[in-house]
Amino acid sequence: MTLSFVPLTPLERGQLHVIRLRAIRTALILLAAAIAAEIFVPDLPMHGVILGPVLLLALWITVFAPGRRWRRWGYAFTGSELHVEYGLLTRVHTIVPVLRVQHIDVSQDVLERLFGVATLVLHTAGSDGNIVVLPGVSRTTAEEIRDAIRQRIGSAAHD
Amino acid sequence: MTDAGAAPRRLHILTVIMRFVKRAPSTLVVPPLALGFMGREFHPVLAFGAFAAIAAAVIVSTWLGWWCFTYTIGEEEVLIQHGVLRRERRSIPRGRIQDVSIERGPFARIFGLALVRIETGGGKAEEGELDSVSLAEAERLRALLRSYHPVATVVAGDEPANAEPVRRTVYAMSLGRVLLRGVFGFSMLWLAAIYGAIHSLDRVVKFDWEKWFGEAERVAIAQFSLLALALVLVVALLLGVIAGIVRTLLRDYGFTLTHEPGRFRRVRGLLTRSEIVIADRRIQLGLVHRGAISGRLGWNTVAVQTLGGSDDPTGRQELAPFATAEEAAQVIAATPLPPFERIGLRPVAPAHILRSAFRHGLPVALAFGIAGWFLPLLWWGLLLVPVSVVIALFQRSHHRYALRDTSLQVMRGVLSQRDWIVPFESIQTLTVRRSWLQRRLGVATVRVDTAGASGMHRPDVTDAPLDAALALAQALAARVD
Repeated sequence: MTLSFVPLTPLERGQLHVIRLRAIRTALILLAAAIAAEIFVPDLPMHGVILGPVLLLALWITVFAPGRRWRRWGYAFTGSELHVEYGLLTRVHTIVPVLRVQHIDVSQDVLERLFGVATLVLHTAGSDGNIVVLPGVSRTTAEEIRDAIRQRIGSAAHD
Repeated sequence: MTDAGAAPRRLHILTVIMRFVKRAPSTLVVPPLALGFMGREFHPVLAFGAFAAIAAAVIVSTWLGWWCFTYTIGEEEVLIQHGVLRRERRSIPRGRIQDVSIERGPFARIFGLALVRIETGGGKAEEGELDSVSLAEAERLRALLRSYHPVATVVAGDEPANAEPVRRTVYAMSLGRVLLRGVFGFSMLWLAAIYGAIHSLDRVVKFDWEKWFGEAERVAIAQFSLLALALVLVVALLLGVIAGIVRTLLRDYGFTLTHEPGRFRRVRGLLTRSEIVIADRRIQLGLVHRGAISGRLGWNTVAVQTLGGSDDPTGRQELAPFATAEEAAQVIAATPLPPFERIGLRPVAPAHILRSAFRHGLPVALAFGIAGWFLPLLWWGLLLVPVSVVIALFQRSHHRYALRDTSLQVMRGVLSQRDWIVPFESIQTLTVRRSWLQRRLGVATVRVDTAGASGMHRPDVTDAPLDAALALAQALAARVD
């Protein structure tokens, strides 16, 4: 259930693959460490005391968690505000008033480029929440939002 | 704004060589030597091979990084693009640029280069950095970017140069007031430190006595130790009070806050007189704080949070450290902030009591519960759990908020109380957070992010009913425009 501010748009399907591939990368590192621990830690009570739980964890973060996390993300651009919502356990909904934006980044790493998504980063002058990140939008959407914000700030600065 | 130079430019090519030289110690010296010494003796061929390979790799990667970094000064924005694999485009609207600084480290001076930093008033990491361009280009950029925003210079030029500014004292501390504050400035930390020092001394003394007087004196020593303990406590308490007074005297002696058009000037200190200037327009929010004991006796601390600048790293500045309620109101009235009004504040949801009890009681219970396993004496600490639960019962009636004409006002705290005044124009972002427990209880926390905040305390509205939290966040966001 989303908060009843504005109707939120889900992220691109490609972002689900990005989240999953990143999770697989993390899971592989964890599994490698667990296997190494199984081999090199002496006096284990039985085989699998380390590998077992890690396997379960890896299963969760690669199979079950990505879809849930992806579904929790949502955003809305109203012209004067950008809303970003995310979070599985703690639900977070951030509102960035466009007039408070200091500058804007649009970035794409290799994985994101592969699946045709981009990350929009808004910087404000705040202290804790000064960087608001919106991943998993198409590059055109990211650039459209960026241009709209830039135009809005530009016209406000001329007043 | 005739020549904006809209074509993308690269940094100075010498940057590649400068970075190569800067990175040399960590890349070109240590790894080849480490490789060379890997066996029992030094392998010069291996070391040289590694050196050549790493040098080539570093040069290529540095050059690639340089090639992919471009900046464009457009009509409306500065666009910085960089990244070989991860392409990043940063656009800085020109209206947002606060200042352009030029830095020249020792290497940059040798190469005749300069680092240009485009400051936007955000955090340090989010600014535009051009590392490095030629000195001439740096000066051209600075002139070009500053020309867009002539407001600051106009304001400065408006003031008549010869007229004496009207300056009035808003708040001042007499010697008596400083000493009184010193008494409350007594800190538990001092007590612990002094007590620890004396206790270890006491142990040495005891050891020596046992050695010199033998078994027969045991009982006498035990009694003496008890007496000594009591004495040490009293002495430590006294020393703590004295230390607090001395520290406060050194810092706050002659505290004077004056206001002249556009800014505050604060002077204080006994041995080092410090003078700071706080411009009215840099004030982000106001905070009135009452300590657990001094606050009950009617003493307030007024502080303002200012836009993080190089001269005030702490963010918040004390305007009046030890003021009566009336004096505190006068200080607030001298700032552009609206007054804090107690009437009409709304309480948060009753669920706040439950969550406060959890948040304050659980860590205490856990800490002493676990510590008790190792040192059974610490089980007694569990007696503090009911105390924090009782305090939690009062948390809700002390946590209230209201939306005024121009500001959000929040009060919070049972023992140590804080009143916040957050003008709408200071609000940067708004966040509605709901943890797992909060979702079950149907409440939410509204976080209000402002510039220059630091430390633990924030003007958040914790555990408001969900619909009220949503309405608050929405109303605040709408008022930013």
